Amino acid sequence: MQLKLSAKQWVGLGLVIMTQSCPVVRSQTIALASMTTKQHVPVRQEMKLKNVLLDLQRHYGVEIVFEDRLVGTLNVMTNALNLNDPIEKNLDIILKQNGLKYKKTRKNTFIITENKVKTTETPKEEKNEAIVPTQETTATENLAANVSPDPIVVDRTVKGKVSDEGGAGLPGVSVVLKGTQRGTSTIADGSFQIDIPEGGVRSVLVFSFVGYKSQEVDLGNQTNVNVSLSPDENSLDEIVVVGYGTVKKSDLTGAVGTVKGEVLQERPSSSLNQGLSGRITGVNVSSNSGRPGGRANIRIRGASSVSVSNNPLYVIDGVILNSVDLQNGSTPIDYLNPNDIASIEVLKDASSTAIYGARGANGVIIVSTKRGTSSGGKVTYDSDFSIGIAPKKLDLLNSREFLAVEDQAYANAAKYDPAGWALGTKYVDPKTKRTNPLLFDSSGNPLYDTDWQKETFRKAFTQNHQLGFTNGNEKGSYGAFVNYRNENGIVRESWQKRFSGRFVFDTQIKSWLKVGGSLGYTDQNEKQVDQLGGGGITAMRQVLEALPFIPVKYANGTWASNRDYPGMEGGDNPLRVVNERLYFLRTQTMLGNMYGTIRLADGLEFKTTIGTNVINQRLDYYGGKALQYISASQNGAASVTNNRFNSWQFENYLTYNKDFAKIHSINALLGLSWQHIDRFDNTASTQNFGDDYFQFYNLGAGASPQAPSSSGTAYGLNSYFARVNYGLLNKYLVTFTGRVDGSSKFGAANQYAFFPSAALAWRVNEESFMQGIPAISNLKIRTSYGVTGNSEIPAYRALAGMASYDVIFGGSRNIGIGINRMSNANLQWEKTHQVDVGIELGLFNNRLNFELDLYRRKAVDMLLDAPLPLSSGYGSITTNIGSMENKGVEFAVNSTNVKTEDFSWSTTFNISVNKNKVLALSGGSDIYSGATVIRVGEPVGSMFGRVHLGTWGSSEVEEAKKYNSRPGDVKYLDLNNDGVINDNDRTIIGKGIPDGFGTLLNTFQYKAFSLTVDLQYMYGNDVLDRSIHSAEDRQGIANSYKTVLNAWTETNQNTPIAQVRPIAAGYTTNNDTHKVSDASFIRGRNLLLAYVFPSTVASRLKLERLRFYASVQNFFVATKYFGFDPEVSNSGSPFDQGFGLYDYPKPRVFMLGLNIGL
Amino acid sequence: MKTISKKISVLTFVLGTFFVAGCSDFLDESDPSNFTVENYFTKPEHARSSVNAIYAGMRDPMTSGFGGGTWMMTEFATGLAATDLGQAVNSYFVKDLKNTSDNGYGQAYWQAYYKGIANANISIAKIPAISMDAAEAKKLMGEAYFLRAWYYFNLVRMFGSIPLITDVVNLQSEQLRPAQSAPADIYNLIVEDLKTAEAAGLPWTDATGKVNMGAVKSLLAKVYLTMAGYPLQKGAEYYGLAAKKAEEVIDSKQFKLFASYNDFHDPNKKNIEENIFMIQYKTQIIPSQWQVSIIPYNKNISQYSDETGGIYSTADFVRSYEAGDLRAKEKQFFYTKYTLESDRTREIDLGGYFIWKHFDVTAQTSTSNSDLNWPVIRYADVLLMFAEASNEVSGPTSKAYDAVNAVRTRAQLANLAGLSKEQLREAVWRERWYELCFENITWFDMVRLRKAFNVTTKGFDNYVGHKFSYGPVLAEKELLFPLPTVEIRNNTNLKQNAGY
Repeated sequence: MQLKLSAKQWVGLGLVIMTQSCPVVRSQTIALASMTTKQHVPVRQEMKLKNVLLDLQRHYGVEIVFEDRLVGTLNVMTNALNLNDPIEKNLDIILKQNGLKYKKTRKNTFIITENKVKTTETPKEEKNEAIVPTQETTATENLAANVSPDPIVVDRTVKGKVSDEGGAGLPGVSVVLKGTQRGTSTIADGSFQIDIPEGGVRSVLVFSFVGYKSQEVDLGNQTNVNVSLSPDENSLDEIVVVGYGTVKKSDLTGAVGTVKGEVLQERPSSSLNQGLSGRITGVNVSSNSGRPGGRANIRIRGASSVSVSNNPLYVIDGVILNSVDLQNGSTPIDYLNPNDIASIEVLKDASSTAIYGARGANGVIIVSTKRGTSSGGKVTYDSDFSIGIAPKKLDLLNSREFLAVEDQAYANAAKYDPAGWALGTKYVDPKTKRTNPLLFDSSGNPLYDTDWQKETFRKAFTQNHQLGFTNGNEKGSYGAFVNYRNENGIVRESWQKRFSGRFVFDTQIKSWLKVGGSLGYTDQNEKQVDQLGGGGITAMRQVLEALPFIPVKYANGTWASNRDYPGMEGGDNPLRVVNERLYFLRTQTMLGNMYGTIRLADGLEFKTTIGTNVINQRLDYYGGKALQYISASQNGAASVTNNRFNSWQFENYLTYNKDFAKIHSINALLGLSWQHIDRFDNTASTQNFGDDYFQFYNLGAGASPQAPSSSGTAYGLNSYFARVNYGLLNKYLVTFTGRVDGSSKFGAANQYAFFPSAALAWRVNEESFMQGIPAISNLKIRTSYGVTGNSEIPAYRALAGMASYDVIFGGSRNIGIGINRMSNANLQWEKTHQVDVGIELGLFNNRLNFELDLYRRKAVDMLLDAPLPLSSGYGSITTNIGSMENKGVEFAVNSTNVKTEDFSWSTTFNISVNKNKVLALSGGSDIYSGATVIRVGEPVGSMFGRVHLGTWGSSEVEEAKKYNSRPGDVKYLDLNNDGVINDNDRTIIGKGIPDGFGTLLNTFQYKAFSLTVDLQYMYGNDVLDRSIHSAEDRQGIANSYKTVLNAWTETNQNTPIAQVRPIAAGYTTNNDTHKVSDASFIRGRNLLLAYVFPSTVASRLKLERLRFYASVQNFFVATKYFGFDPEVSNSGSPFDQGFGLYDYPKPRVFMLGLNIGL
Repeated sequence: MKTISKKISVLTFVLGTFFVAGCSDFLDESDPSNFTVENYFTKPEHARSSVNAIYAGMRDPMTSGFGGGTWMMTEFATGLAATDLGQAVNSYFVKDLKNTSDNGYGQAYWQAYYKGIANANISIAKIPAISMDAAEAKKLMGEAYFLRAWYYFNLVRMFGSIPLITDVVNLQSEQLRPAQSAPADIYNLIVEDLKTAEAAGLPWTDATGKVNMGAVKSLLAKVYLTMAGYPLQKGAEYYGLAAKKAEEVIDSKQFKLFASYNDFHDPNKKNIEENIFMIQYKTQIIPSQWQVSIIPYNKNISQYSDETGGIYSTADFVRSYEAGDLRAKEKQFFYTKYTLESDRTREIDLGGYFIWKHFDVTAQTSTSNSDLNWPVIRYADVLLMFAEASNEVSGPTSKAYDAVNAVRTRAQLANLAGLSKEQLREAVWRERWYELCFENITWFDMVRLRKAFNVTTKGFDNYVGHKFSYGPVLAEKELLFPLPTVEIRNNTNLKQNAGY
């Protein structure tokens, strides 16, 4: 390592490295070195050409490259300029005046050259667009060394020429003597001349130019160097963000998936998780609710933990999101504006996640947000407008049918409850109840036939506006972004509004010091009408169960309720529920970081970052005085809950990057990290209001204040991490990663743990024997093994905690302090061992790409809330027992099927198959979590219940009697043959997690039009529709699914649905196979038609870019599942995927959008 | 050069500082919201709050809702209760004598009461070490011992052989996965604990609802009475002990029967006169929960939204009361009609005999927030225990007649007189069934006596073989409830009760 440089050298070094760090700046660094800040200059008079060019550059958002030598002294007349014309025309006007011309290269780059350039000097080479030449093929020509005989003191002069892929001279190419600030740039014909100081240092020239791969040439004794630059359009050289650094995609040894911001833009969504759906293999996003903002469950390579979080670790610009257990199923990532995302990287295997050690076991999602621009000011405006509709209506009884079912039930009462029938008073003929003149005519016929789905759902309008201002130059850049989103839900009264703003800056303060940061603020307000897990009266339940013969409101303006008809369960109608059950979630988040990067030496860099994430969430709740089952019994109930989440982190690390003789390359990282996370919650609630007026705005107005509550928790992490990437001959790549994590959450004996990983990759296509197979443009084989951890248990679990108890003495509340949690000093991390083998294959110049990964993840020392014998007084203890594995295959194909000048067609197909199995549990016993069972040998979260065999027929009277049943009753399988149907007859009846899932995406491009057809599929997953319990198993106390018309009768015995009967006569309801249905599906996730206006049109509108698109999201769903949507879970329980219960349907969204850049 | 090395040394210094700071105490975090066992039990106030926590477990089984309620378990087991709550499967399992160890009611009892025991154990272990007023500490210990005995007494009667845990359990304890102790051992602890409580200097009554001497002696009477019967069958000696303890309560003159049955569910009568010991509630603070289960299913009579029809009396039982018994009359112990919530002038027939004893009129008609306590030990129970026990020891005495007749007089029934010992025995039993129904007492009487009331003959059948009025027949296994499945699963040292 060379640290003995002079200060001057140091500065120069920093400058050069700095300029190389950002490809876009490179070409300008030299050419525009003397340029000062840009000001807006009116272009109507004689001006310096240089300024005019800069002005044009800013106006059109293009790169204009020129030599100061050429234009520095020239003035031009600008009267003829018209900024509404295309840039080409304006350039012609001003350049002609001085005998200059421009050459347009790719990516909106214009190079200013002298008119008299002699292209004939360079012999035309064979044009080859299909195969990109590697750097080696353009090796220097060693022309006769007839110059520079003096090797000692005098600078020698090296001359040469740089040409493009077609052999034409390339002007404006930066030529820098590596390790110095000495440099020049090529002139119009691509030639250059540079003085090289002779000395001990080996001389290497670095050629770089925007849009081209930079190239280094070891001079040796050469004095004449001809270089051909090749265009940099190989996606393999994409830079991928990994933990604490970046690597070239081609150098990756781990399994990492990437999604760029532009791709997210194709399907605008309100949250990152939704946007990620289907983009990356192995990442299963279940969008479980159609509420505004959605509620997505994300699993990377399956679930790895039973009782702690299975959510991935989110890292936003290096800041880890730590907050958990936000209100009503929301997560911190929901509050990141997806429009701010530049790219998302998903780290899947142990090699890539091990750098996050104890927190990497569930995968890591790294988000890089948009930054400023280095090429002058830009304004972007993206906007979309959409209408959501309910794509499906369920079949429910209408008024006539409901009353008929009720009559039928009454007729069957004597059969099912002879004793009750004999009392004479227990059952009342429903016909005698139909006297309410508000609901029935004089002959007992209903006056209304309300379609509650029609009343409750609406066309929901949503708008989203994103405005970005960016600016900057090679020295630094900044950006400011604001977003406004207003999403309405398809269930009335549900909405979400978000305002967010971000400011970013990155600046090279000194040649050796770069500083930057970002600060993002989000203010999100939402009114939610869906409740997690809600088995009580909820809006979506009442959509199914409100009586069809009641109206929304009566003529006098009062709400109609099921209670208006005697004998009903009595919930209010859904519109009253959504109007009077107020549930506002108000969240303000601040996400910020600041970093400083110090260049210590060539390749050695020190980075320090400080980051913070603050979330303040307030939940305002009021349930109206009259809302049955919700707040009527409390005579109105209000509460205000505040949750404040704070986390900060401070991380310092050194990175060292060095190539040795083109044989060895080393990229090493060594760092340390501190994090501290704290949380404070408090709730105040009150009941018993005189009037609904106050809602939650005046808790003092409730006559019965409830006991207030508050709690605080905090934990800290202290970590050390290191990584070495070593590459040999650019073919063999090795990565070693290790992290030591210490956490205050764990027992004193186990606060620290070490998480190592190793990975190996072989770039087969770099081997010489592969050069003869031009069809294979990329072939890489990689494998990794490592250990990562999961530590997402609440704080203090190792301590013997005590809890407060309430007790009444003398009519007032007294506090007791008693047992709560058994201490476990040995508590430690959960560890996941993961092995991964991957192969990447690119054919025909990467027009056809395959990527295949096989993995096995095995979680050991699994953190379990293991049940204790209750005789101890404790329910459970958090302990490390249990093991679980996930095995899977991920496969992806990207193919450019057709590519012509005007038309192209590309296809992406991916599939992920994951098999989960519980290997060991504490004592081998089953754990029940929600309605699922966790059982050794079975996938986690298996649905558990009885086997439904249909109904007993009239020919089975005697057999039915053995089971206390009658013909017409549900017939269950007596699994253990003990003559009794009970909980012992339960078995695994389904699973909510799919066998496999994936995406088929086709994009067709014709000229400026593009059409995207995005299909999502999932198979092997079941849904247990628990709504059936109340909407089918029982009748006559609330509305039912229309399926009850198919209930058992003497003449309809082949049916799964028991004979209808009054509720008081008893009925059978269980989680059983009848409620489970195969919910495999194919979804039309997105149909997108986009049009990019030609630059001529855009320019006329003074725009750089103008894109217009129309799309339909969720345009069809093909599934056998009967309910609203096969992707469903309405539970906070982590394994209740696929449990439908009064779920909020997912909308079909019709969208129009606009992207403007200027 | 200089600048760089300076830079590096500054950096090294800064990093070194962080490194050291990071290592020292960064990972020390203590819970600001909760005490830990290590930092509690340091002040006299801690003794009081530690004992307070023991009481809380009494409340846990008293829940009610659409899933039924734990407290209904021992009511449905009598064969005298009915329900309309089709989805409360646990109720049906017990009522129809198809009970299994999966029954959530049994588990809830087990969990709540053992938690109560654990809280008592920690109080008993830690209070002696707190430096505080000795008399106060003794009283507090008395409360703790009483409550531990009360929890064990209920558990041993419900589940038979159960783990006997008297120490604070931790991960290393042998008692973490204990074997069962025989009922006799459990009863020994109960008697010891109650004797300790008896000597703790507690006052005879406590209007705030804490443990008092009346409660201690009454419970001791009941424990002896039970030990005299099944399963220990200690016989006459223990009838004598029971009679003596009950007599001490009667002779203390601290308690008396309420004049009106309405006082049972009058919040102003909590913890006084007849109510010797109760589970404490307060409206709007910790309201009691059972109101929703003692009203009929969705008849719209209540201010409560959830009218669950969870439990009511079988008609056969109510109709078995003696003619003229005030308790069987409308709105004494039971009600069959009530007004509509929407129109309090319109009365509707409810289709069953619902439980008026625990009916909170104010909550049902206006506040939907109940202020009622649950009676644990009533003076009427003590009178009947005395009558029963003294009759077993010395046959019918005037004091025994006085005791049982006090209860009958309130029911507007003629005094008992001139009965044989056997006749008085059954007469007192009958009185217990009629007077103490739906108070979580009857089933315990049934198993200690191994007798069941026959609503048709109005005599007493043997427990095993007794047929409920709606069909099912009691078997031997129903003398106990099954140990909860989860407990057997998590503690393989346990053996399930026979028949489950």
